[in-house]
Amino acid sequence: MSAFVFGYYAFLILASVILAYVEWRKWFMMVFSLTLISFVLGIVGGTPALRAVATFAIVLAVAAMVSYAFKEFLIQLAKPNLAKELRTAPLTAAFGMFVIFTYAIAGIFAPVIAPHGEAEVIAGAFAAPDANMLLGADQLGRDIFSRIIYGARNSVGLALVATLGAFILGALAGLLAAVKGGWFDTFMGRVADVIMSIPSLIFALLMLSILGTATWVIVFVVAIIYSPRVFRLTRAVAGNIVVMDYIEAAKLRGEGDWYLIRREILPNSMAPLIAEFGLEFCFVFLLIAGLSFLGLGLQPPTADWGSMVRENATLISFGDVTPLIPAAAIALLTVSVNFVVDWMLYRSSGLKEQ
Amino acid sequence: MTKFSEKDVLLRIKDLQIQGYSEETWIDIIKGVDLTLHRGEVLGLIGESGAGKSTIGAAAMGYARDGTRISGGSIEFDGMELTTATEGEKRALRGSRIAYVAQSAAASFNPAHKIIDQHTEAPVQYRIQKRMAAQEDAMELYERLRLPNPGEIGFRYPHQVSGGQLQRAMTAMAMSCRPDLIIFDEPTTALDVTTQIEVLAAIRDIVDQFNTAAIYITHDLAVVAQMADTIKVLLKGEEVEQASTEQMLSNPQEEYTKSLWAVRSFQRDQKSRPTDGTPPIISVKNIDASYTGSAKVLDDVSFDIYPGMTVAVVGESGSGKSTTARCITGLLPPSKGEILFKGEKLPAKYTDRNKDQLRQAQMIYQMADTALNPKVQIHEIIGRPAQFYSGLKGGDLKQRVDELLDLIELDPAKYYYRYPPELSGGQKQRIGIARALAAEPEFIICDEVTSALDQLVAEGILKLLDRLQQDLGLAYMFITHDLATVRSIADEVVVMQQGKVVEQGPKDEMFTPPHHPYTDLLLSSVPEMDPNWLTTLLEERGVDNVGEAADVNQDPPDGKAEDEPTK
Repeated sequence: MSAFVFGYYAFLILASVILAYVEWRKWFMMVFSLTLISFVLGIVGGTPALRAVATFAIVLAVAAMVSYAFKEFLIQLAKPNLAKELRTAPLTAAFGMFVIFTYAIAGIFAPVIAPHGEAEVIAGAFAAPDANMLLGADQLGRDIFSRIIYGARNSVGLALVATLGAFILGALAGLLAAVKGGWFDTFMGRVADVIMSIPSLIFALLMLSILGTATWVIVFVVAIIYSPRVFRLTRAVAGNIVVMDYIEAAKLRGEGDWYLIRREILPNSMAPLIAEFGLEFCFVFLLIAGLSFLGLGLQPPTADWGSMVRENATLISFGDVTPLIPAAAIALLTVSVNFVVDWMLYRSSGLKEQ
Repeated sequence: MTKFSEKDVLLRIKDLQIQGYSEETWIDIIKGVDLTLHRGEVLGLIGESGAGKSTIGAAAMGYARDGTRISGGSIEFDGMELTTATEGEKRALRGSRIAYVAQSAAASFNPAHKIIDQHTEAPVQYRIQKRMAAQEDAMELYERLRLPNPGEIGFRYPHQVSGGQLQRAMTAMAMSCRPDLIIFDEPTTALDVTTQIEVLAAIRDIVDQFNTAAIYITHDLAVVAQMADTIKVLLKGEEVEQASTEQMLSNPQEEYTKSLWAVRSFQRDQKSRPTDGTPPIISVKNIDASYTGSAKVLDDVSFDIYPGMTVAVVGESGSGKSTTARCITGLLPPSKGEILFKGEKLPAKYTDRNKDQLRQAQMIYQMADTALNPKVQIHEIIGRPAQFYSGLKGGDLKQRVDELLDLIELDPAKYYYRYPPELSGGQKQRIGIARALAAEPEFIICDEVTSALDQLVAEGILKLLDRLQQDLGLAYMFITHDLATVRSIADEVVVMQQGKVVEQGPKDEMFTPPHHPYTDLLLSSVPEMDPNWLTTLLEERGVDNVGEAADVNQDPPDGKAEDEPTK
């Protein structure tokens, strides 16, 4: 029996005993169940299986610790009101915020962080990783690591702008529809129905083939595609607010629609809208990545995660995981945004524990 | 307390402590309350909102609401300790031996199921009765509670039944397993006075007939005087005093109790119309109104409001009081007739009115919670009308807001930057008043401004409104269904029923007979402090002439003939 296996079981059993002694029942049950499962795993899978479990647990623990530290860091920095809100954030949300923060740093300081240029050819095609190139080179001999860093700026930035566009269009139309009501409301509702009835990917492909693949076209098309969803949500949220007495009071005062929207309705519908923003961002991000993969997104040599997956796709057949790294970057960001959104939705829905 | 002997004790709560979770700490809500309830006894729990009445009511079932926990003391129900009982044991008690009647029956019934199916659920679940037997029993209970068509009403859905009937159906449901204890949590608060009586009478009868013990939670003293054998007064989670009903009413011991009793004493001198030919500030002339696609809600409504006077508009819910207010403010243009302001015609729609006309029709709303934007600071809520109408800015605006806060007796330094959710109900209502005043109107519509407030707080609001009227010469249109409020501050009264004005005139005339029959019904339905009031009233009217039950004719239930003579 190797020292690793010995240490593995010793650690688990010791941890179970300590947890049982201090009566952290939930944790004790988890750790001790893991011990029992490990017996079976050890017999069936041998040392490698146990190593995998240990690695997984360590990664999880490190992620949890980083999230916890990051949350405390934010609480220290934030103003008292915001700090109180942050305290309620679960570890998953803190993890999400940490990842988003990291991506933001990578995107903003891309030229400083990336060791090589975005389109700089520095090696042969598919060169293996070395001290100079962390993840090796792509099909043209460009540094994959540098391109991923630049990709954070391009892909995420584009998705962000497109989502913002969808929100400005959709939210404005939704708020106006809720305030004005009547034929305007009906008209906007039907327009939204029409846009939603067209399959989004096909619509995007069609528009991009017709109008070309300039960045502004991508932003515009994606914003149009996603605005009806924002419109519907905004209209529903604002619809619940316009029936309140304070809106009636403001109307009777003689306030205009713009004041009603800006001062009375918007502050009360911010929470669900921000949560929806996160959710929509994920969809937009995935759609843009999908478009890039199909070659209709950002055009080379601009680094973009979606097109990077396609460019290096051939490596997969050689058992190389490099093309999966940009895909993982996409997945990690969407999951992280969803973690944060879940927490926000939970807060805005007024559900409380106990 | 001599009526009940020690061996009949059903529920004994000792030194009950309940904590609530807020702001990340546990705060005591109930600080050591004792309570003893005997079989067949009705205990009235009264106090302001936040006094812990409902929390104690729930604790009597061994239940702590979300975010609260029972942190100390004991609750002993018929020899069983509920604080240590398992969830399963408690569940077996609830519905079968302890039942609960909630404030809003409309919100407590499941709208997707027929009333009788919900009624029979408990007895069938507890294997007390088979479904058919339970249904027959339900019909019998409906009959005893004097519901119309007892054989058929259970097969309707909750929305097909009126509020008062639904509340009685809920009482019947609570009775379905013949529990030993029923907890009534403000069962009549949401009802009109005329409907309230029949629910009260029904509850009292059924509790008497089955010798059920009950905890009756309410903030209305007059109601509790009719129902309870014993009254316990609570204040901020602590008991103030407890005594039998007669003793409590005639001779309250504590200062706080006395102040509760004294609330209804506020009265203002009645003013009369000016005689020097001043035109009425608001004159409603023969207006009809209807909501789109439905029948007329208002039918030929006319009345005048003179400067500096308070005109109370009274009637049951659905009588068109609030619709009239909507016509005056221009939210609902009348289909016929006109509204005059100081003799000049006001445009029917509010969008057609100019700023000066808009500022004259200010409203104070019933629910201060929905009337104030929760995300806007107090100074902006109050300051906006001043800024909008008078164009005040910067220092002038701040000074005006301070002035207004002073007027409503709130400290400007403390409340300037607060948000509405941080304030209490009474303070919010004061902010609502300040917002109306900020427009510098001469006329304000008060839509049930005190009905959502505790009596002491409501009293404060009424006094404030009265003071403001004297200082600023305001005219009020006071919409209310509470005749006690009318008595205390109105100069003139307009009685409305089904969209028509049935009677109007100065207050003193309206409150002296002879009345219009409907006015008479309204007036006599207001509960009085006299514990025998309900009995006397039922004798006078006859059981079957109470409220909406008037159209049903039935034999009085057995054994109650001496109280309630047949017509």
